Amino acid sequence: MNVIKGFATTFKHVLEESVTLQYPEQVRPFQQRYKGRHHLRRYDNGLEKCIGCSLCAASCPADAIWVEAAENSDEERYSPGERYAKTYEINMLRCIFCGYCEDACPTQAIELGHEHQLSFTDRRDVIFTKEMLIDPVPAGGQDTPQQVAPGAFNRSIPDMENPK
Amino acid sequence: MVKIYIDDREYDVPAGMNLVDAAKWHADNDIPVFCYHPKMEPVGMCRMCLVQQGAIEKDRATGEVVLDEHGQPKVRWMPKLQTACTQRVTDGMVIRTNTAEVDQARQNVIEFLLTSHPLDCPICDKGGECPLQNLTMEHGPGMSRMQFQDKQHLDKHVPLGDLIYLDEERCIQCARCVRFQDELVGDDVLAFHERGRRLQIITNSNPGFDTYFSGNTTDICPVGALTTADFRFGARPWELTEVPSIDPFDAAGSNISLSIRLDRDFGGKAMIKRVMPRQNESVNEIWISDKARFGHHFTRSENRAQSPMIRNANGQLMQTTWEEALKSVASILKAAGKDVAAIAGSQMSNEDLWALREVMSAVGSTRLGAWPITHAGADLVAQVGVGVGSNLGDLGKGDAVLIIASDLEEEVPIWRLRLKLAKERGVFLAVANARHTRMEDFATACLRYDYGMAAHFLSNLRAENPDLAQQLAQANNLIILTGAEGLSLDGSRALMQAAANFLIETGHVGKPNNGLLSTFPGPNGMGQYYMGFTPENTQDIMINPPKVLIVAQADLYHDDPSASQWVHEVETVINLTLFADETLSHEAHTILPIQSFAERDGTFTNGERRVQRFYTAQGPIADALPAWQVLSRLGEKLGRGKAKLSAATVMADIAKNVPAFAGVTYKEISNVKRQFPDVGGRDLYYGGTAYQNRGGLGVQLKTTAESGEAINTAPVELVNAPRSQAGQMLIVPTTVLYNRERTFLPSALMHPRVMMPYAEINSADAAKLGIKSGDVVEIVADTMRVRVKAHVNGGAPEGSIVLPRHLTTEAVPMTMTLGRVSKVD
Repeated sequence: MNVIKGFATTFKHVLEESVTLQYPEQVRPFQQRYKGRHHLRRYDNGLEKCIGCSLCAASCPADAIWVEAAENSDEERYSPGERYAKTYEINMLRCIFCGYCEDACPTQAIELGHEHQLSFTDRRDVIFTKEMLIDPVPAGGQDTPQQVAPGAFNRSIPDMENPK
Repeated sequence: MVKIYIDDREYDVPAGMNLVDAAKWHADNDIPVFCYHPKMEPVGMCRMCLVQQGAIEKDRATGEVVLDEHGQPKVRWMPKLQTACTQRVTDGMVIRTNTAEVDQARQNVIEFLLTSHPLDCPICDKGGECPLQNLTMEHGPGMSRMQFQDKQHLDKHVPLGDLIYLDEERCIQCARCVRFQDELVGDDVLAFHERGRRLQIITNSNPGFDTYFSGNTTDICPVGALTTADFRFGARPWELTEVPSIDPFDAAGSNISLSIRLDRDFGGKAMIKRVMPRQNESVNEIWISDKARFGHHFTRSENRAQSPMIRNANGQLMQTTWEEALKSVASILKAAGKDVAAIAGSQMSNEDLWALREVMSAVGSTRLGAWPITHAGADLVAQVGVGVGSNLGDLGKGDAVLIIASDLEEEVPIWRLRLKLAKERGVFLAVANARHTRMEDFATACLRYDYGMAAHFLSNLRAENPDLAQQLAQANNLIILTGAEGLSLDGSRALMQAAANFLIETGHVGKPNNGLLSTFPGPNGMGQYYMGFTPENTQDIMINPPKVLIVAQADLYHDDPSASQWVHEVETVINLTLFADETLSHEAHTILPIQSFAERDGTFTNGERRVQRFYTAQGPIADALPAWQVLSRLGEKLGRGKAKLSAATVMADIAKNVPAFAGVTYKEISNVKRQFPDVGGRDLYYGGTAYQNRGGLGVQLKTTAESGEAINTAPVELVNAPRSQAGQMLIVPTTVLYNRERTFLPSALMHPRVMMPYAEINSADAAKLGIKSGDVVEIVADTMRVRVKAHVNGGAPEGSIVLPRHLTTEAVPMTMTLGRVSKVD
């Protein structure tokens, strides 16, 4: 009897729809909140949002981020305001994808995206540089460094809103 | 001592002490301040230090303390809150700092300051060590009621000078920078402009912010309004590691702190991001000169020597290993017999010098020369120098200081700052020189003598200036501070002897704040003497060049126009150097790259004979090694026992062998104690971002006068100034702070402040020679020929040309000489 009971269960499941996905041909849809590899964002005009303040590095519990800042000029402008990130690196081996950097960022320059295929064969490949992290220049925007009119971009932090 | 009550606890504090200082020092109660600074007079501008103040009520008739119904002393409170910074403690003062009213007042002040503060803390260099940020977190309202559109948007990038930038939005108008320049430095180059909310800081000098102390304003600025061009966006303060070090440029030996951080562009090694002052109240208080602050770039110069080089048979310098290089040098030294000499620069540490001396004794030579050969008489400083425990900050009414033959502001700016303040405390400050120097602006008495006659002037002081002599002789404490301007080496010795004699005769030796000081070039002039290196030996080496010469950190060709002549006579030159591009490298047989002060540890002995320690900060440059290590390994090859493994063990050797250093250990040099004012703690608002001293206060070596030996005067061997023949003039080399020395030139941000080569010519001479200001003149003397711009003014006495050293690429004589001047068409 027990044998028949057992086979009944088996046959029942055979007829059910499979939950296994044929990854990588098939990919499960991501939740919006999924925390994958980081992106450095740009404004619509192509300027980088990152101002090199290093707060992401300070908040990082895994000490995965390395930032070195430098000063903008109107002839060679990377970001609005005075300061930009000359060097921006994330060591993906150290990163625990907690998203604290995202929270700390005063300009919403760093965001964790959905990319999760981060395998590698050389440890040196795991250090993502600024060039690898930054978004492509949006349509209508200009690549950095830009030459801009003097005094056009003198605010590093986007204007704050009045208390409601 | 008086009794005061802070937050209902009783404290004994000295009467008349500033309340903020007293609360911090005696009660460990941090009263928040923005405008008050313990080194400056209070102004009560920011209102942050409001406290509830009262006094214990006393019966007017009987003087008895009035008691309330509980039997407690009755306190009569002031009707409103008082600014603590403008109060001096009195007996029975009662202070409350923790009431709701005080909290509310602090919150209001913070809110008011933030009405127009930009809050761009993420990109602000001060963010993370900002008094406004910290006090907002501690006392601020926590919520903003501000309309952000109402914030003023002002210029965020105003260069006040080449070194300091002003962010007009961030300024909270505390006037600390203005007061620092005015009250403490005496260079009144900053001022307030406009009124009310438009109030801004401006500079009223040309070039802007023209002072040697501008960097200190960024330390005491309680917001990020003033930032340095050097550190701008260099790192966030919390990422920096502070390494204690010593200013490598002058005899004051200012205590500094090197802020280091790893850097991609420096090969991922630790790199100096900025130089900050470190508190040592006996040496530099909490101030440093701009040269100390911005002059660190030479340590990373692209011309730094990378690896040992030996000249091969074809006369080409070839890279080699340390082992090979040292083997070769050892065999050269052995082959030379005793015909070996050494010249050591004054940036060599005590350990380096000792190791060099060991090498020299291994080959049996005692020809140890000090470089440069400008200042003689270090032995007299060792005998009758200022006593142990001396502090220029302790001088006051009834004391006297004589500055002679020195342009102190250019030679040792920190001493100039501290003596200016001493004069304001009532010190009789006499300045004697052959020309006007900046120090005269702050002097009580200014005296003139002819160039070359400084020693005559001082020897005959009693006869010719009896009033002055009396003033000095009768002073409670007397310091004579000598330079070597307008003197030959012998003249410098005569001056030192004359000064020593005066001090001995008037009994001003062997006590703190009494004795002789000299502006030795470089940070370790006294160390050179204690290790046996003297300028007289160097003179002898120049006259009788040896077969083998070891040159250690001495830029012979850049300092001495006659170098090409006498160095040629040396068969083999072994050059221990920081820089590969020295002219000497063309002649050297072996180049041994050594490390600068930033890359290793060691000690310097400053002009007050204080042995102070610097620590390893920056990452090493290629194969360079500390000089003591190189020389100690060389010593091993020459049979002087095992090479030393650390600078501390070399110091142990020094302590064993040099009597003055007996008992000196790294441990003792590194001792610290609490200093007033208590700056550099968590409360950055009190003293600015100057650092607490954690690296050691140093050990002052005893003078012979203090160790109980009898000190006798010695006859002064007066040297007459060279007589000029027809058409000749006295060429007087002087020191300027910002110059083109190899250790300063790599600091590119200082370039706009370095003068173009010039010479000062007296207007009478200029008229005779047909020279106008701005003309190019050629000056020829001995082996020197330089072309410089003429400055015609009253600065140079008639018959003499004041020619600053190290402004031209060609060498200028180290000491006074005769020469001819002609106009170049």
